[in-house]
Amino acid sequence: MTISETHVGRSYPPTPPYRISRAKIAEFASALGDANPAYSGETPVAPPTFAVVISSQAWGSLFDDPELGLALHRTVHGDQRFTWTRPLREGDDVTAVLTIEKVRNRGTADMVTVRVDLSTLAGEHVCSATSTLLHSHPTEGAVA
Amino acid sequence: MTATPAIAAAVGDQLPVLEVAITRGGAVRYAGASTDFNPIHWSDTAARAIGLDGVIVHGMWTMGTALRVVTDWVGDPGRVVDYFVRFSRPVKVPDTADGVVVRFSGKVTQVVEGVATVALEATCGDDKVLAAAKVEVRVD
Repeated sequence: MTISETHVGRSYPPTPPYRISRAKIAEFASALGDANPAYSGETPVAPPTFAVVISSQAWGSLFDDPELGLALHRTVHGDQRFTWTRPLREGDDVTAVLTIEKVRNRGTADMVTVRVDLSTLAGEHVCSATSTLLHSHPTEGAVA
Repeated sequence: MTATPAIAAAVGDQLPVLEVAITRGGAVRYAGASTDFNPIHWSDTAARAIGLDGVIVHGMWTMGTALRVVTDWVGDPGRVVDYFVRFSRPVKVPDTADGVVVRFSGKVTQVVEGVATVALEATCGDDKVLAAAKVEVRVD
C-alpha cells in the first residue's frame, strides 16, 4: 500500500507518556553545544526543539502503519514548525498525538505533512509540531 | 509568570553570528540525544541509497542550533513561541576530524505587541541550508 490523500485526517492513539528528565535535557543541550543556564540547575527547562524527541515518537505510528507503506530510511525532513504554549520542563509527563494533515504524491516521492500535538497527562497543551516529510519511493521494480 | 526585563528589539537589528562545526561524531551524538537513528545520518551507504552524496546531519540539529542565535540573545528560551524552517539543502558531513562549519545569523524583521520576528539564515559553504526560517519570540 502507499499513502494517499484518503489518509488525510487519520489520527493515532496517544504515545505512552514520556517523562522529561534532567539528564536527557542535559544530553540534548550538549548535542546542540548549548550552554544556556536555563537547561541546567534546579528547575531546568528543555531546549525548545527538544519537543522533537517526543513528537518523533509519534512518527513511529506512521512508519508502523502497514497501510501507508512508509519507511524511515527513505524519509527526509522537508520542513518543521513548532508552536509552544509553554516550555517543556523536567518532570513533565508528555504524550503525543499524530494527525496526517496533507498528502501530495509527486512523481518519485510523497510529501506528507503531519501535526503532532504534545500535552501533559493533565491535559495541558504544551507544543504543536508540524512536519513535512519527503518520502522517496522504493527502487523501481520493487513492490512496496 | 515571572517578570523579566524587556529585551531591546528594533526592526533591522542584526543578532550576533554563530559558527558551529558539525562532525560525524557530533551527528551520532545528536542521533542519540534526539533518538533519531535514521541511518542516513551516520552511514554513507544508507545516504547514497536515497540519492544523497553521503552522510548528512539531522535537519533538526541545524534547526536546533540555529535557534541559539535567538536564545543567546533573549536569554530565556521560554520566550520563544513559534519557529519554522524549511530544510532547503542538506548539510553534508565529511568523515574528517574537523567536519564542516555551519554559519548562523539572524535579523529582527518585525516587532508587534511584544513579539519580535527574527529571520534566521544558515549557510554551509555557499549553500543556504535553511529557507524561510523564522522565529517569533516575546521581548516584552
